[in-house]
Amino acid sequence: MMLSLCIIFVCTILSSGSAEYIKKVEDFVKSGHTNNWAVLVDTSRFWFNYRHVANVLSIYRSVKRLGIPDSQIILMIADDMACNPRNPSPATVYNNANQFINVYGDDVEVDYRGYEVTVENFVRLLTGRLPPGTPRSKQLLTDEGSNILVYLTGHGGDGFLKFQDSEEITSQEMADALEQMWQKQRYHELFFMIDTCQAASMYERFYSPNILAVASSLVGEDSLSHHVDPAIGVYIIDRYTYYALEFLERVNASSDKTIGEFLTVCPKRLCISTVGVRRDLFKRDPYKVPVTDFFGSVRPVELLQDIENETQEITYEKQVTLSTKSKYRFVPQLENFSVLSK
Amino acid sequence: MKAILLLSIIGCINCVDSLSDTFTEELFLKPLYSKQIYAHLHFSTKWDTDYVIESFRHTHLFPRALGEIIERHNVQELHLSLTAGLWRYETWGYPIVDAAPGAELWAWFKPDTQDVDKNWKELASSLSGLICASLNFIDVPNSISPEYSFRPSGVVNQPFVNSSFLRYSALPREIVCIENLTPWKKLLPCESRKGLASLLNSLRIYNTRYHSVAIHLRPVCRDAECELTSLEVQQSVALVYDYGILGTRNWSIRQLFGQGLFGSCPLAKSSTVYVDITSNSSSPFLLIPDPDEYVTSKRGAYTSTFAKYDINGDIDHISATYIGKQNVLINSPPPLHANQYLTGYGQERGGIVIKLYNNHWESLDVVVLQSLPWYVPIYLHTLKIQSNGKQLKPLVLKYIPGKLRKRPYYLELVLRLPPQSTTSISVDFEHVFLKWTEYPPDASHGFYIGSTIISSMLNVARNFTALPQDGLTIADSFNASRSGYLVQVRTEVMVITLPTPDFSMPYNVICLACTVVALAFGPLHNITTKRLILKPQSDEKLLVRIKNKILRVIKGDTNSKSSDDSTAATSEK
Repeated sequence: MMLSLCIIFVCTILSSGSAEYIKKVEDFVKSGHTNNWAVLVDTSRFWFNYRHVANVLSIYRSVKRLGIPDSQIILMIADDMACNPRNPSPATVYNNANQFINVYGDDVEVDYRGYEVTVENFVRLLTGRLPPGTPRSKQLLTDEGSNILVYLTGHGGDGFLKFQDSEEITSQEMADALEQMWQKQRYHELFFMIDTCQAASMYERFYSPNILAVASSLVGEDSLSHHVDPAIGVYIIDRYTYYALEFLERVNASSDKTIGEFLTVCPKRLCISTVGVRRDLFKRDPYKVPVTDFFGSVRPVELLQDIENETQEITYEKQVTLSTKSKYRFVPQLENFSVLSK
Repeated sequence: MKAILLLSIIGCINCVDSLSDTFTEELFLKPLYSKQIYAHLHFSTKWDTDYVIESFRHTHLFPRALGEIIERHNVQELHLSLTAGLWRYETWGYPIVDAAPGAELWAWFKPDTQDVDKNWKELASSLSGLICASLNFIDVPNSISPEYSFRPSGVVNQPFVNSSFLRYSALPREIVCIENLTPWKKLLPCESRKGLASLLNSLRIYNTRYHSVAIHLRPVCRDAECELTSLEVQQSVALVYDYGILGTRNWSIRQLFGQGLFGSCPLAKSSTVYVDITSNSSSPFLLIPDPDEYVTSKRGAYTSTFAKYDINGDIDHISATYIGKQNVLINSPPPLHANQYLTGYGQERGGIVIKLYNNHWESLDVVVLQSLPWYVPIYLHTLKIQSNGKQLKPLVLKYIPGKLRKRPYYLELVLRLPPQSTTSISVDFEHVFLKWTEYPPDASHGFYIGSTIISSMLNVARNFTALPQDGLTIADSFNASRSGYLVQVRTEVMVITLPTPDFSMPYNVICLACTVVALAFGPLHNITTKRLILKPQSDEKLLVRIKNKILRVIKGDTNSKSSDDSTAATSEK
């Protein structure tokens, strides 16, 4: 009797211990993703759309600050605002007329810019069908363990988003592109953010799993801009992104703020439009998902088992470079034309 | 694990092996005529390796990212520049590195390259990723292989230069901003953490009249015998500050770059600042602190003086204060400069005029290169070259007409400009319609035509600051008297407005057509489906009619409503 009790006791200790251990491991890997990517797109050209560039750079600044390296951020900007001749303070883009934050920063890397920002390039980037010879910085090299943040801003309408004032992507095309990504195992979870007018219409057609979508306005509503900088002469940021940045500025890599909190950053009294959220495709409870699952970055850690230490003597001979000796010469920088006469 | 061990061992062997490279950083400051100051940062890396067999697996100071690209695409020589603003040759003299507004890229491929066009396109695409510029728009339809204007600036071992291995292209509209400078800085051994590159503070350097970022890569001789080669990379940033923007004529490092000098790059062989004090005789300024050394350079009969500072821990600041009365200076323009502009009006025809100014007392042989996009067809028979009112015949004329969507127009002329002359070259072109999908999103902004490049070997070095062909650093240009001094003058870029269609036209047409159809359909349908019956008009008086109507309403009989109207059509089925 005593023995059996003891055994049971030991068993419970063991099982509770292992359960705790498993829980710890589960906590550690609960999101299940192994790497983070961000696709940040501004689709608007022309100086009066300054605010859209400020929007996208606000998110760029945040994801970079929270640890996603530049090699894993695809930044698409349709026009040059920072070095635009109309910008009174060159090489800066501010989120605020009081110039609190220069969202352009000192080490920005824009991957697609100007005329390269097209619907075709965007869909090709997402689905990975790029022409041969495309440099790495212009590819979305994600896998089935990637959490991707997709942020779009520009001018939209019911069921479309305009690119550069000349073409548009429809919500169906967007949904199909994401489905293709899912089928090709190009993402683990995807957080879709969009700041345009009637933004919610863009995520209505989504049908692929593991997507959490948030939009700055519902169908039939306009997304409004925040304020004008009289020195620049145009609106400098949109309301939704302004408050999103305000929230993200208070997040750091180790903070426990959740996506659920992030989804409520802009109540109607601040945004004037209603922020739309679509969570039926997303399996987890947003209030249990840290913001850093999408805005931060997982450091690539690989747990190895059965490590054997092997020592091996390696001897190297110094490489002898077989330089080809040949008579090299400088050629005259310009041909001598004095031999030619009129 | 093994792999890591292996890598580290290889790395170590190579770090011993690759000490055969040197890195130099220099800053050159020169007050320009009237109201500007020219600052040129020059970073040069020389690596004693055979460029033919080098695999670029391991590099020390040489930028590996660049090495991999040139190895992959079989490049022998690479020249890339990204520039905003125009270099004003007439008042500023010649720069150390010439660059056209926008992006400019030219490359020599190795003579064993199979498909030059494919390599060229992929090279541009790779570089676009490396330097964050839209160089991937460079393709065969906007590239040329100039025969005379560009020659290999590095060493070659073939007996003849074959320009079919050369490709040149320019994107005059390319914007230049921090995103280009950031990856450029990462190619330097110390990046921007230490040394002169840490001066590149984006808030200051984009507030300038002219800024240009360049990478020039070429093979050079390793020693005097020149049987072995070295690989050389020159990275430079050229800036022209305006005293009007700076607010004062008295400049200092802190005023120009927003910060002081924070020591040298520990990997650099030397870190030096040169200040051109040649103009000190006419408008004197005082340098603080005193320079370490004064260097006098005699080059092509012209003498220049430079103040030299070695950057190490104790110098953190250099400033210049103008003393005495401000003199009015007379500008002495350089021997050769040029302009170009558009002529004509309307949306059908136009013309280009290139003006060449020879201020030299001797005649000058120049090569004029203009390449026009395929949508700007020029007519060779309209080519007119006039010098001081007289017709001038070109010594050589090379012209390859363009092909729609396949090849640009290419015109290269060799001219002998008479002494003290102004020569104008004019040619007419036509505007063409593009397919509506070929117009950019901002089609009414206009289309850019790139700079004309005018190359010449001058025999005087007046206002000349460029490095000699065998030179790597700015110090190499001191006392570098040569038989000729190459200048490559770039002119303004131009914007033409092609006839732009009304992009909302299809929508308007659909709306209008539908309205017309709808308006026509109603009557036509009525006419074809209804029979018209004539009913005799009743002779009732108005009062009687009203009475009848009222009676009918009272009785509740509304069936025979239309009986009053004499000619109303009633439908019968």
